[in-house]
Amino acid sequence: MEINTIEIFLVIRYIFFVYAITTIGSYIVLAIISATETIAYMKKNSFVNYKEILSSTIAPSISIIAPAYNESLNIIENVRSLLSNHYVNYDVIIVNDGSKDDSLEKLIKAYDLIKVDFLVNEQIPTKPLRAGIFKSTNPAFEKLIVVDKENGGKADALNTGLNLSNNKYVACIDVDCLLLEEALQKMVKPFLESTDTKVIAAGGVIRIANSCIIKDGKLIDVNLPKKMLEKGQILEYIRAFLLGRMAWSRLNGLLVISGAFGMFDKKIAIEVGGYDTKTVGEDMEIIVRMRGFMEEQKEKYKVAYIPDPLCWTEAPDNYKIFISQRNRWTRGTIETLRKHRKIGFNRKYRSMGLLSYPYWLFFERLAPLIEVLGLLYFGILVALKQVRWDYTAAFIIMAYLFTVLFSIVAILSEELTYHQYKKKGIGFNLLKIAFLEPFAVHPFIVYSAVVGNIDYYFNKKKKWGEMTRKGMTNTEKK
Amino acid sequence: MSELQKIVLAEDNSLLSSLLKFRLEKEGYKLLIADNGKKAIELIEEHKPELILTDIMMPFISGLEVISHVRYKLNMLTPIIVFSAAGQEEIVLKAFNLGATDFMSKPFSPNELVIRIKRLLR
Amino acid sequence: MNNEQSFFEYLQNSPPIIELVWLMISIFLLSIFISIIYLKYLRSHLRNNERIRGTYQMKYELNLITYLYSGNEDQEISPQQQIIINKLKKDLSDPFKRSIIVLTLLKLKNEISGELDESIQKLYFQTGLINFAISKLRSKKWYVVAKGVRELTQFHIKEVHDEVITLINHPKNEVRKEMQLYLVNLFSFKGLDFLDLLQTPLSEWDQIQLLEVLQRFDDQQVFDIKPWLKSSNDTVVIFALKLADIYIQFQAKEDLIELLAHKNEKIRIELLNVLGNLNIIVAKSIVMSNFSECSQEEQIAFFKMMEKMPESDDEPFLLEYIHHENFEIKLSALKNLKMINSSTFNIHKHLGTDPDFIRIVEFLEHN
Repeated sequence: MEINTIEIFLVIRYIFFVYAITTIGSYIVLAIISATETIAYMKKNSFVNYKEILSSTIAPSISIIAPAYNESLNIIENVRSLLSNHYVNYDVIIVNDGSKDDSLEKLIKAYDLIKVDFLVNEQIPTKPLRAGIFKSTNPAFEKLIVVDKENGGKADALNTGLNLSNNKYVACIDVDCLLLEEALQKMVKPFLESTDTKVIAAGGVIRIANSCIIKDGKLIDVNLPKKMLEKGQILEYIRAFLLGRMAWSRLNGLLVISGAFGMFDKKIAIEVGGYDTKTVGEDMEIIVRMRGFMEEQKEKYKVAYIPDPLCWTEAPDNYKIFISQRNRWTRGTIETLRKHRKIGFNRKYRSMGLLSYPYWLFFERLAPLIEVLGLLYFGILVALKQVRWDYTAAFIIMAYLFTVLFSIVAILSEELTYHQYKKKGIGFNLLKIAFLEPFAVHPFIVYSAVVGNIDYYFNKKKKWGEMTRKGMTNTEKK
Repeated sequence: MSELQKIVLAEDNSLLSSLLKFRLEKEGYKLLIADNGKKAIELIEEHKPELILTDIMMPFISGLEVISHVRYKLNMLTPIIVFSAAGQEEIVLKAFNLGATDFMSKPFSPNELVIRIKRLLR
Repeated sequence: MNNEQSFFEYLQNSPPIIELVWLMISIFLLSIFISIIYLKYLRSHLRNNERIRGTYQMKYELNLITYLYSGNEDQEISPQQQIIINKLKKDLSDPFKRSIIVLTLLKLKNEISGELDESIQKLYFQTGLINFAISKLRSKKWYVVAKGVRELTQFHIKEVHDEVITLINHPKNEVRKEMQLYLVNLFSFKGLDFLDLLQTPLSEWDQIQLLEVLQRFDDQQVFDIKPWLKSSNDTVVIFALKLADIYIQFQAKEDLIELLAHKNEKIRIELLNVLGNLNIIVAKSIVMSNFSECSQEEQIAFFKMMEKMPESDDEPFLLEYIHHENFEIKLSALKNLKMINSSTFNIHKHLGTDPDFIRIVEFLEHN
């Protein structure tokens, strides 16, 4: 009996230790891969002249699809910003997803819209139209299409846009995102460049626009916000996009491209059935499904990734909204991984099944749970007076320093590539966040992930409430 | 001598606009420079220029919108010359439909621009 | 001192795993320390660079405008111009300043033509900037070579043609791309000759860029797409098809029709589009004869082609497809039918029951 418990403790301890070491190891490997990929990308793109292709009418057509739910406050400005992209061959489809405010009236007035006859090939079933489809009588806004439909959630609105689009590529974005003018041609480039591999989707980087000055739909000045929560997220995004995703794109293992800005090959997106309206993580789910589909077809394919800061959006600036956003992300991840569990550890899906899926499962999906379990286990040890405090301290210091180091490497890589935070003093500020974030922001991330798990397994009603509203990051924060 | 004739120039290449400003002011015009469409519209509303020069590709409000604003919102008949890049024929057609007076395809010769301006402002 | 000693003693008495942890801690600490110092240096370096860049840019822009307007008609180069040339020459040895000068020249060169453009060109030669670009061609780093070729393209330096053409088989895609752009930018349709030799694929992005460049030339002088239509490089065939479409290469009609039997589906689909635009009607009966063997995508492309050249003879064929399960085929067949014979359309429009059919008919009646 005695010996048994000791053995169990030993085994548990080993599991935690091995997990910690593999986590650290995987982060180091990802950082190295990301560094090589970043260097290659910067060299390759340092002399591309995007101006040469932006005005081309031969360039393939793109639709921007932007769902909107009760966005009346800023919709006019947001649409204007979307219409000012420097690409020629594109249109903008605004899907008014059953808004209860005066979004539609405002759009009609500002852009001289009239109802038009529009034949839609309904390849993906969606909620029916409400007021119909509108276009502008002013030739200056001929790129604009506004669809008014009954409320069905973000995924349903995006599907409506997919049905409506007559173009080869679709860019799905959040309506309140600020897209830089060269965003479309930079995103479409990988699709056009590749000759032997089919590019099925391309993901962009999301940058945080809090406290930045935006005038006339243009990013004028980049600032670092004041609140710890906002700053923590900035650091988190830099880490995730510049180190994590960059490395995964090199391995062609990206399982998610951000719902706030991603581009798709429309034909394949429709062929797999469009967005799943039954999940809160539709942006991750569609990529996993499209990849799975391509693997099953045994076609050579790629999910591309563009690290340039092309899309800026507001991040939650209070803990309540932040927690509910992360809670939703957690559930989205769980749903997607569960729905596609046949891919995991399946050799038929090659690196997707053997590398990407397991990584997501262990280091994204389970990480917060293991962290909490670790704390519980530690609590038990404390209660049993089994703790060697000096060893504990050593481990905690090591883990903390590694986290800080990883953040600083991320900051360095941002400085060496895009250097967006130019102002004096921000460097010191970013460093400060690197040291403080593990205490100030991280606990809330873990907390919301745990609540997300609980909600997923025990509180199914919550999901449906969200789905029919909008289930979006951005509604709540304004 | 009467007041100088005013020209609003909307162009986001600062070097080109200072070059044209230099050149056209030597010809005896007063130049008002905007680096985007929105500022151009503000200048037009405020100064009621005799001529408008606008690039088509501009941040935020495009040249097309400037034309449409001048013709339909302000109901002004001011001559408008559009600058377009090569391969933008379709947009140029749209510009003419909206009421542009003339167009010049980039790269263009500033001398030729001066001749056209003189003809329009005679 | 004492403390330190006891710490080492402590470590020696710890299990190896704890020793390892302390080793990691010291490595991490050291790395953090180095990174912070580097970050500090990097940020101030970048900030200074930007500030200096701004100042120089303004200075060179002003120099350039003064240079351009201080020419006179009697002299090749006026004394005032010579002063500016000498000033710029002095700054060339610094690669940082040199790159700003080149950028300043280009900022204007892309936008203006005529006399002023010639003056800029003269400046490029007189300052000796051209020599720096040419020397880049011999670099061992591929991106330096690519940048060199690009600059020579931008300044239209035809004299280095023989040297640039040697890059045709450069292992790096980016270099080949720059070389192709150089040829087409400077020698227009004649520059396309490289297609005869091209083994590597020409991506859609490359094709668009080349076509964009070609559109700037008015001289649509004779060029023969026939050999490219027969190329073993499929991307060259597709590119030739795009050329046939844009430059209405009707004389290649026979070769185009032959391509209907090409094994690559992508080529056949692009071809149907081109045949429609060129109004090559004979192609219709050829495709119709083995229509059922075509993939659905090809069938859709064929219907789109038929819409471009409606003929009343097509009626029986169209009637077979107005109830096709595919939305696009159905739509195209009905649309075409309405175009060629509205009375047949009016008879058949009541004969469909599926909702798509009804929606399409309704739409076609209103538009």
